[in-house]
Amino acid sequence: MSNLENNSEKRSENNSRPQIERNTQYWKSFEEYNNTPEFQQSLQTEFMSSPLREETAHEGTEKDHVARREFLKLMGASVALTTAAGCIRRPVQKIVPYTKQPEEVTIGVSNWYTSTYFDGQEGLGLLVKSREGRPVHIQGNPAFPLNGSAVSSRAQASLLGLYDPERLQKPFRNLFNEKRTNHETVNVSWEDLDNKVVESLKKGGVAILTGNLASPTLRAVVSDFSKGFGADHYTWEPLAQDDIWNGQRLSYGEGVVPSYRYDKAKMIVSIDADFLGAWGPAVTSAKLFANGRRDITNMSRLVSFDSTYSLTGANSDIRFRIKPSQQLDIVLGLIAEIISAGHSDYANSDAVKSVVQAYKGVADKLGLNAEAFAKVAVDLWKNAGQSIVVAGGIQTKTKDSLQLQVAVNFLNSLLGNDGKTVLAGSGNRNLSASFDQLLTLIKKMKSGSVKNLIIYRSNPLYNLSEDFGFKEALTKVDNVVYVGDKMDETASFAHFVATDNHALETWGDSEFAQGVYGIHQPLIRTMYDTRSFALSLMTWGYIGQVGPKRLQEYETYYDYLRAFWREEMAPKLAKGQDFETFWNGLLQAGYVGETTSSSARTFKVDAFKLIKKSEKSESTLELVLYPTIHIGDGTLANVGWLQELPDPVTKIVWDNYASVSLKLAESLKAKQGDLVEVKVGSKTLILPLHIQPGLHDGVVSISVGYGRTKAGKVGNDIGHNAFTLVTIDKDDVLFAGLTAELKKTGQKYELVTTQGHDSMEGRQIVVTATNKDIEKAKDANIHRHHTWSIWSGHQYNGHKWGMAVDLNTCTGCSACMTACQSENNIHVVGKKYVMQGREMHWIRIDRYYTGNPESAETVFQPLMCQHCDNAPCETVCPVAATVHSNEGLNEMVYNRCVGTRYCSNNCPYKVRRFNWFNYAKLIEKPMHMALNPEVGVRVRGVMEKCTFCVQRIKEGKNKARAEDRPLKDGDIKVACESACPTQAITFGDLNDANSRVAKAFKEEPRSYELLEEWYAKPSVRYQSKIKNNDQITPAKKGAGHA
Amino acid sequence: MFKIFSEGRKYLRYFLSKTIHQKNVLTENNTLVSFSMTKKSQQFFASSLLLIAILFTTGCLFQNPDGGQRVGIGYNKGYAPEQPIAFSHELHVGKNKIQCQYCHNQVERSKSSNIPSLATCMNCHQQVAGRNDPDAIKKLRDAYSEGKTIEWVRVHMLPDHVQFNHQAHVTKGVSCQTCHGEIEKMAKVYQYTDLSMGWCVNCHRQPENKAPLNCTTCHH
Repeated sequence: MSNLENNSEKRSENNSRPQIERNTQYWKSFEEYNNTPEFQQSLQTEFMSSPLREETAHEGTEKDHVARREFLKLMGASVALTTAAGCIRRPVQKIVPYTKQPEEVTIGVSNWYTSTYFDGQEGLGLLVKSREGRPVHIQGNPAFPLNGSAVSSRAQASLLGLYDPERLQKPFRNLFNEKRTNHETVNVSWEDLDNKVVESLKKGGVAILTGNLASPTLRAVVSDFSKGFGADHYTWEPLAQDDIWNGQRLSYGEGVVPSYRYDKAKMIVSIDADFLGAWGPAVTSAKLFANGRRDITNMSRLVSFDSTYSLTGANSDIRFRIKPSQQLDIVLGLIAEIISAGHSDYANSDAVKSVVQAYKGVADKLGLNAEAFAKVAVDLWKNAGQSIVVAGGIQTKTKDSLQLQVAVNFLNSLLGNDGKTVLAGSGNRNLSASFDQLLTLIKKMKSGSVKNLIIYRSNPLYNLSEDFGFKEALTKVDNVVYVGDKMDETASFAHFVATDNHALETWGDSEFAQGVYGIHQPLIRTMYDTRSFALSLMTWGYIGQVGPKRLQEYETYYDYLRAFWREEMAPKLAKGQDFETFWNGLLQAGYVGETTSSSARTFKVDAFKLIKKSEKSESTLELVLYPTIHIGDGTLANVGWLQELPDPVTKIVWDNYASVSLKLAESLKAKQGDLVEVKVGSKTLILPLHIQPGLHDGVVSISVGYGRTKAGKVGNDIGHNAFTLVTIDKDDVLFAGLTAELKKTGQKYELVTTQGHDSMEGRQIVVTATNKDIEKAKDANIHRHHTWSIWSGHQYNGHKWGMAVDLNTCTGCSACMTACQSENNIHVVGKKYVMQGREMHWIRIDRYYTGNPESAETVFQPLMCQHCDNAPCETVCPVAATVHSNEGLNEMVYNRCVGTRYCSNNCPYKVRRFNWFNYAKLIEKPMHMALNPEVGVRVRGVMEKCTFCVQRIKEGKNKARAEDRPLKDGDIKVACESACPTQAITFGDLNDANSRVAKAFKEEPRSYELLEEWYAKPSVRYQSKIKNNDQITPAKKGAGHA
Repeated sequence: MFKIFSEGRKYLRYFLSKTIHQKNVLTENNTLVSFSMTKKSQQFFASSLLLIAILFTTGCLFQNPDGGQRVGIGYNKGYAPEQPIAFSHELHVGKNKIQCQYCHNQVERSKSSNIPSLATCMNCHQQVAGRNDPDAIKKLRDAYSEGKTIEWVRVHMLPDHVQFNHQAHVTKGVSCQTCHGEIEKMAKVYQYTDLSMGWCVNCHRQPENKAPLNCTTCHH
């Protein structure tokens, strides 16, 4: 091993590369910022993985060595065997035709069905692609009034849940001992289960625990059932927005989660509300937010007060780092600034003044830049009626969360935003889930008055900390029925598991905004012996002969749904159409209705009087918990796509961690990856440390949703369960602002990040400018290079495909990565191999920090194969496996590739991915059904990369030809483009002068090529990011270009 | 013969494992230490490689699926497997003049040409009992009435890394016979062409066909 080290030192000494003058403006990691020797060395190794490295640095166990050698021996044997088998006919395949072919199925042609997705917070209208009756890809429904074509990673990845081999396939019962300490689940027939459950339900004391129910029909079933059995219905979500709900109720008299028009606002202030990430309807919000920023001369300003490094903070123009305990002070400080300037009618109200007075000049006390803070208040008032102030999410669930919401509502009313940008009318009235209801339920369970508890897809035994005492309370319930599709933490404590269908197997409907109804179509018949929740309730009602007639009379939930829509919905929505026409129209469009209009509500000033300055116990270190955009509350933890999706900001995969600032880490003498003990009250959690730039020095932030123990093979024991740190203080459920202690344990742990491989060595990769910069020149900060060539280049007579990526609207949400993974059959490789740089994502999102580590800002850049005209990869391939097409595509021919990896070596953008193993063979059945049949799976030893979704290009061209018309711009939408919530990605034909992409290339002054000076002539161009912060970028000191 | 072969294999295995053990030894000059081979072992190694090569090529050349017609390695020209029902295209297409697209009705709309569903067969065979082979028709009718299907053996099979599109060819006016041969004369369907890449490209290359020659036309 010492030989090796010497060797690499030698290599760097002898390195003949020109030394690059470094530009510290953009950086990806601390190592790069400080330009440490380790970083320098890592630059020399283009590939994180090489056989040498593998056997030394990271490779785990002795077992692996043996495996490698065994494998090579086996290969020797298989060479010999091919002599016998090489020319024998390929295996016999059978063609099995339908007996009666369904009318809508054309073999080889996909059908798209409208459906919906709801994760408890956000509802999305979907189009689901079905091939020969099995769903293979999920996209947004462009017609849907909320999200449109935008879709989240989680919604797309929910597809894999359908094909999860560990999904329950039949009902179960648990053979408990006296104390219910054992888990012995055995099969039970539906008949037995139904009879026993109904027998028990008849004894009374029935409670139903569900998450938010967005479906009007399901709510009707639950209420019918509740009437029949005298049941109480409790709704609770681990990420409940009850603070918003209650805040609205106190401020305006009615509980609602309002909708926010980020597109209409010119000034947006977020206090820990991660509306671009994991809070509220994030996809719809991101879409609206981007719409408000598309016109760079008149774009909105986003100011974020951030106690974690949230995606919203990362996208903000001005970001303040705060502690959770400062949230209320900040809002009141802003109010104080506005009021003391004599603005608004409230300026004369003594009640308001008396509360607010103490907060004048609070910025100094909070350690914020007072000038910048005052400017926020000025900007807010300047844009009164066109601004939004939001706070929310578990990051704001401190002791003061309700006061915070009231203060925020007051500020919005004061600014006249209510009814203009904050709309209660089109808000969501179904997000009523609250911890209050859960606590009431637990109290009742403990008192023994709950004899039957039906839990529908909630997972309290994972999502709740010990403070709640749910586990003890559960043992007091005689009969627990769990309805879900996994034997998860809660299901294994239930007497009966009435196995639920997957969402894609169930009929349903939804109301995601007041007045807008979506239809949820199933995409596949139930794969196993499962039954939907609604049908279970209906069956129990039927067997028990209780409840309204409609609960008992229908044999399927579909019949109930149709009847419900015929009787209850159609009269108000059908506009005189007969029901069949209306119903078919609904199925086709996927939705019906429109949002109700909103008007300004009167703020109840009384509510404001609730606000009192709570005596702060100054804690030096505060805990803040937050959900991440990909894992959320942990429900989808068993989906590999999501686990391997890097966190948008930290770029860490397969783990959660305690994030702290550099200063705090230094004071602890801790380094990245040190295991630390986080102590909150009596609770402790040991997890690895992550040093996060831009974090407040008094904050330790941990993401929830990890540390599942019964999620399945993929999700079990990934990270640590931070829900265990949630504390109840006088009926307040606290996720943030808790006093925490950090202690080094002395052990190390390897956190794996996708960032820091693929370094771009300080060249012009991302370009940012400010609104002041572009007043002078639209192409501010873009350095154009003079390039020349002795070669005339390729001729493109037909199409010439190109892509434009607008960094200004890209929020880094990573929906494109999941879309690509689903469309192109990209494999998940696992933590160990990501560590070696073997992740397979064809599109990645690079995150660059700018500025200093204390107040680092971020820029995101999606990077995929650039399809260069003078592609460096093409010239080095010894077997012509990567070649240029006459439409400008850089083609990768898998069956020609022999795996020299020269192309990847020579690719300046590092977008090529190598198949180190036969990943496709590892796909467990029935996961293979999620594969897209239009795209082949790659075998070991083959290079792969973004193809510009060539299968979609072909499909689009074929369709146009079949319809005998020329191809129109927008006919072909590549997967990343169609998923992108903010339409940051545009794909099209550069030879069509009117296409959006051609216009972006020619007319957009912010447009630039990556590494233009290398003259690879990429077919992808980026548009610079504009920060609307009224600053002027200082002139660069010389170089930065190689 | 066998002995030489197994000896060779044994040596090959030894050689491979040896290579791995030696692999990590790097000198200061950054060169791999080459280990010495005895002359005898070199001969063994070379001969075993040669043997493998000879077996590989000759073995395949001797394969004659079509009685005398020599095909390239790995192709299946002339392949004519037994089908569960001896369906005769000669009878249906040649004699009764049924259009191809009556049964393969999706070929104009899809990349895959469909094998007709049993319901399509039953359109006629509800009445037509089949004078020549009534047993086969009975098999069909039984399968249909029981809701079962017939598992046909696939004749034309392209490797998984090839994407062929029937729609694109048929709508361009390429006749079925161009690729499938005189199907109207086939009592038993056989693979008429070798379906090799060279054969595909030969046609695509003709300027009058205006066919694309990009790799991703077929491979993605």
